Amino acid sequence: MFKKKTVVGALVLALLASVTTTQASAAPKNQSRSVAQADWLEKNIDNPKVRIIEVSTEPGIYERGHIKNSVKFAWHTDLVDVVNRDVISRAAFTKLAQKAGIDADTTVVLYGDKNNWFAAWGAWIFNLYGQKDVRILDGGRVKWEKDGRALTTSVPSFKSGSFVATQLDKSLRATLIRDVLPAAKNPKLAQLIDIRSADEYNGKVFAPAGFQELAVRAGHIPGAVNIPWGLNVNADGTFKPVADLKKLYADKGITGDSNIITYCRIGERSSLTWFVLSEILGYNVKNYDGSWTEYGNSVGVPIVNNAGTVWGAS
Amino acid sequence: MGSFLINTLNTEKAGGLISNGTSSPLWTKSQKARTAFSLLIVIGLLFTAFKLSQGENASTAPISLLIGISLGLLLERGRFCFFCIFRDGIEDRNTTPFISVLTAIAVGSIGYAIVFGQFLPDTTTDRLPPVAHIGPVSWPLALGAFIFGIGMTLSGACISGHLYRLGQGYLRAIPALLGTLIGFGIAFLTWNWLYLHAIADAPTIWLPHLLGYSGSLIATFATLLALLIGAIKWGKNSDPLSRSTTSTPSISRGINYLLFERWNPIATGALVGIVGMIAYLRVEPLGVTRQISTTGRTFMTNQGIGDENLLGLDRMAGCIAVVAEAITNNGWIVVGIIFTSFAAALAGGRFKIDKPTPRNTATALIGGIFLGWGSMVSLGCTIGVLLSGTQAFALSGWVFFAFLLLGVYTGIKLRLHKS
Repeated sequence: MFKKKTVVGALVLALLASVTTTQASAAPKNQSRSVAQADWLEKNIDNPKVRIIEVSTEPGIYERGHIKNSVKFAWHTDLVDVVNRDVISRAAFTKLAQKAGIDADTTVVLYGDKNNWFAAWGAWIFNLYGQKDVRILDGGRVKWEKDGRALTTSVPSFKSGSFVATQLDKSLRATLIRDVLPAAKNPKLAQLIDIRSADEYNGKVFAPAGFQELAVRAGHIPGAVNIPWGLNVNADGTFKPVADLKKLYADKGITGDSNIITYCRIGERSSLTWFVLSEILGYNVKNYDGSWTEYGNSVGVPIVNNAGTVWGAS
Repeated sequence: MGSFLINTLNTEKAGGLISNGTSSPLWTKSQKARTAFSLLIVIGLLFTAFKLSQGENASTAPISLLIGISLGLLLERGRFCFFCIFRDGIEDRNTTPFISVLTAIAVGSIGYAIVFGQFLPDTTTDRLPPVAHIGPVSWPLALGAFIFGIGMTLSGACISGHLYRLGQGYLRAIPALLGTLIGFGIAFLTWNWLYLHAIADAPTIWLPHLLGYSGSLIATFATLLALLIGAIKWGKNSDPLSRSTTSTPSISRGINYLLFERWNPIATGALVGIVGMIAYLRVEPLGVTRQISTTGRTFMTNQGIGDENLLGLDRMAGCIAVVAEAITNNGWIVVGIIFTSFAAALAGGRFKIDKPTPRNTATALIGGIFLGWGSMVSLGCTIGVLLSGTQAFALSGWVFFAFLLLGVYTGIKLRLHKS
């Protein structure tokens, strides 16, 4: 009798699980797989196989209200190495993701402020360390709030997950020596995309307004095309349709036939373009997290500076 | 009948409704007109808040204005003026008003503990709760607090005091607030040196890191209890704490209490504490200097005066200047305080244009400079550091409190407030 009950219970549980659980899919990358829509997220908000992560940079914004069951990752301390300039280490990221209750088959949905810039960095880190199903909430925090969807202040806690980070996937990350310099000298190796503003790209300014100069040279990497990140999204912050995105990049000669490297100032906005090209369009893309603050400060590397701005000259 | 009043000073010119010993209301025509006009001001403020809720910053600007309205009412009706409170205690040995400060800290700290428990459940890490006013404990903090205390004595009020007393027609607040702006400017010029020599290496001590939330609450309440007992023992001529409670509810008595009598210090303090908690929960910790220092910093940046780069300042938590053109959330708090205080004072017959003399204008200006310098290097003032710091279990709040009291004590003993 007891056994029968257990079996029935297990069957019911399994049935329930198959209905409510979204399985991690290994389907080809595309918009419907990698971009989570708010309606879907609301339906899956209590789904134990879906873990929502907020990566925002405005202090206190998560604490004053966040999507139910979402966990906060702090970009400045959780997703980068706080001493060396580097991404978070494999061991530290394993610990962080386990604490958030993430398993290998968990669907991770990231969202954040500032048009998902830092959430996209988070998505890139999850991909670097081998998580299979990683998505970004379309429109991020701003759209969620504008739609009048619910927020809560209660902080969830989850049973520790079993996620173990893989070796860092070098096919998604560009480094100066291995990838960027060779591409700067030989355009056949990879197409470079500079996602900063036209003024930064052309060397008129050293850094965007509101930032202190962080590179002592202005301009861009030779061969890079300028496609500002904002072109990826609609006015409400949602991603543009696949056809529009394809055309946007094809018009600049980027069709996905060759390797691509994206960069910006510190690598966080370019992770949004990385996400669009790699996760939505399925192209071969590396994000260069050293970006202009590494390249523009490196001694002896070739630079194109259209404006001819000279650093320190009066 | 007037004997139950906590402070008869406020009612003697007010023509209170029960002034002649009967409970029949005496609504004179001018009183009715004044009260109606006050109501119009409050409605106007509420309408402004409603309009703000439809614009940009819709989530924080209207709440900031509502917080300012509440604070203006509490400061004016409870006479929650830190200088008056300290002077009553030191000079007249009347320590009843001081109880309102202790109550505000007590209630606010419970509120902060509730919010903190959700914002930062784990106190064992190095993390601090977001944007709470927990500052480094350094000698410039102590010096800033002491100078601020001297400035209060010289100018007759602290910064929040000047803001609400401006609404009462206290024109000396104008040179004092101008002086505050100048003081901020001087502080910006001295900031980088102070930062490199003293502030950068100073420890930021947050009690919950050492004691957890419950331990911090116990420590805070133990300190408040000691201060309360000390204050009661020191007090010789203290006002009675409450009036006779035999009275039955009556509308005229209600209006009298609402408009004319000084509010009970415990009620005032408790409400100030609750407003502080709401401010932290919804916008940012309560403070009144951010808009003023922002105005100062923006002016200096535009004029190219001083170093554009204030080292380390943007990483600190407190009432910190940002370079901004528009009115900030903090600006709406200031607007709320001044206009609501004016409305309350007008309805209660306490609005009186007080003609400044050249001499007291000069002392207000100099005192204001002290206020500005002191609050900038301390990253806040009586509201932003003393209340919002101690409520947030920051040691910096208590250090500011101690040295501020020392400054006011010294100033009063030097008879600076009589000059």
